[in-house]
Amino acid sequence: MRLLADIPRWCDDVTDSASPARFARRSLFREAVLGRRDESGFSPIAAGNGGTADAERSLVYTVTGRILDVSPHVLVLLTERGEQRFPLAASAEAWRGGPVSPAALRQGDHAIARRRQPGGPVVNRIWAEVGRVTGTIIERDGPASLLVDEGPAKGRRIVIIGPEAAGRIQVRFPRLEPGYLIDVIGLKHDGFLRALIPATSQPPYLAGHPPAPPLVNGHVPDPVSGTAVWHEPGEEPEGLLGLAYPALDPETSCERTGSATGACSGDLHAVDPHGTGPGCVRLPYLSVGSLLRLRNDCAERSRLLPVTSCGATARLFCDRYVTCGTSRKGRIADLTMAAFVELGGALEARCFNATMTIGG
Amino acid sequence: MLTAVRELQIPLLAALLLGGCAAKGWRVLRSRSMAVAMDPAGLFPLRLRRPVMIVMCATEFGLGLALLATAGRVGAAGSGLPATTVRVAAALFFLVAVGALNETRQRRPDAGCGCFGEFSDTPIGWRAIIRAGVLCAAATVTIGLPPLRMPSPPTTAELLLAALAFELSLIAFLSPEIGEILVRLGYSEPCELRRLPVGRTLTALHSSAQWRRYAGQVSAAAPDDVWREGCWRFVVYPGATRGRRVDIVFAIYLQARRPPIRVAVLDADTDEVLGRPGLASLSLSRRL
Repeated sequence: MRLLADIPRWCDDVTDSASPARFARRSLFREAVLGRRDESGFSPIAAGNGGTADAERSLVYTVTGRILDVSPHVLVLLTERGEQRFPLAASAEAWRGGPVSPAALRQGDHAIARRRQPGGPVVNRIWAEVGRVTGTIIERDGPASLLVDEGPAKGRRIVIIGPEAAGRIQVRFPRLEPGYLIDVIGLKHDGFLRALIPATSQPPYLAGHPPAPPLVNGHVPDPVSGTAVWHEPGEEPEGLLGLAYPALDPETSCERTGSATGACSGDLHAVDPHGTGPGCVRLPYLSVGSLLRLRNDCAERSRLLPVTSCGATARLFCDRYVTCGTSRKGRIADLTMAAFVELGGALEARCFNATMTIGG
Repeated sequence: MLTAVRELQIPLLAALLLGGCAAKGWRVLRSRSMAVAMDPAGLFPLRLRRPVMIVMCATEFGLGLALLATAGRVGAAGSGLPATTVRVAAALFFLVAVGALNETRQRRPDAGCGCFGEFSDTPIGWRAIIRAGVLCAAATVTIGLPPLRMPSPPTTAELLLAALAFELSLIAFLSPEIGEILVRLGYSEPCELRRLPVGRTLTALHSSAQWRRYAGQVSAAAPDDVWREGCWRFVVYPGATRGRRVDIVFAIYLQARRPPIRVAVLDADTDEVLGRPGLASLSLSRRL
């Protein structure tokens, strides 16, 4: 019983952990004990800290930083390595609430950019102030202001639907009411997200009642297919190369089970995704630090990625991505922005078809 | 004979009502949340679903018990009013169920009826609606019956058994839950998806030969780290051997009894593997 009392100290909470290096050593330990070999030289936590040589090796396509200056030919970013200048390709495209020319980006904007070649200097895609809110609507104030619960790990966000986007969002999200799910992309502002693009079609069910997955016979298929989405960094480092996994081991990831009963009126509609079942894809239980090989089936690009956080909110969605063929139903990974861009995804395109191999 | 068949409906209806209530209660107890069992109240506003579910469950329980209690001489004695009241109430209950199921099917075609808890997650179809209609008819034919008695001639008993078998078959045919139950009876969850408490893993480790072999090198009572990947749970203990600080890593396969266990010893400072299993690569989802 003495040992059981120590269980909370193993919680897989990267932000609270006093020693994140232990997550990085897990793949080493696993390799040592099971004789399984992953790609050498990969340190998930080093990539997360950013600013190191390892981080540069990990992020070969993606650059994040604050725009210091931008002209039709050059982008100057304040990155974790200091001020960096990137020549812009003639065909460079930018997004700031919609397609704009790179010169239309503003000083001070937070930007994430993709290089044309791995490690090369030339940038050909830039997204500025892009944000995403995914979760359960818990309050609605007027026709355009929503309070959205993104799950126990991420907290709550305010979403304001711009009048120019109200039509297209309401077509895809007809029930902007407490208890229903929402997933929108837009421009980040102080304290709220200005929603501009619906990131999926609204599921017909209430957030707390996702459909049950089919039973699995034998072993879970490996690799597993579905859709991969992205999330804002939140408390994670901006350049973190990793993913939030929807099925962390409930015994050591400190899941909060049962619905929270707090004093806020919105708590009536808040849904703890850990308590709603496994979602519509059955994924094997893993932990923070586990390595996965994720392939973007649309861009035919793959990377070995570590699990860096809990993505249980992804369990609530049973959607498909249909731009490059119809994906299987369900979200299998919630990537960091850096990982999504690194794998060739376009942030405004919401998601991509993905194939995931456990253990690399 | 016809009277005997009518009498048969009373225990049958009582069993179904009590079974439905028990299945809903079991689902709530297992998930520790009322929210999972609210499908039958899906037509009501969110704030009313919980009280509606409680009332529905209590009604099923009460009707089931009352049907049994008023079936014999005690309840049916005197004017027979209590028995008639209960049977009319049961018929009304199933009549309301027919309407509610039909309405739910049109408004929420993805929702299950939740009639028998987690076994009733299949979207409502005509079979579930017809089943409620059949049960309504069964309750209706019991109205006005005299007190129940055991069938005396053996031939009547045989006919009664045949009628019971036919009716059970009809209900089974109209119940999508039967398929779900049969699947679950033969289903064993893959180890990658099975929840197993850390305490059981540690208990299995501490009673293993591998633990006894390395226990002398372990220098702490509690592990430094515990995590899971697929079918394996990993436990790391700090230790010391020949004056070197080491990490002793145990991999325990997640099965309830006598799990296979693998061990590796690494230098804590250099991560050099000092003791390593001699086997080739192992999958995260396969046994040794």
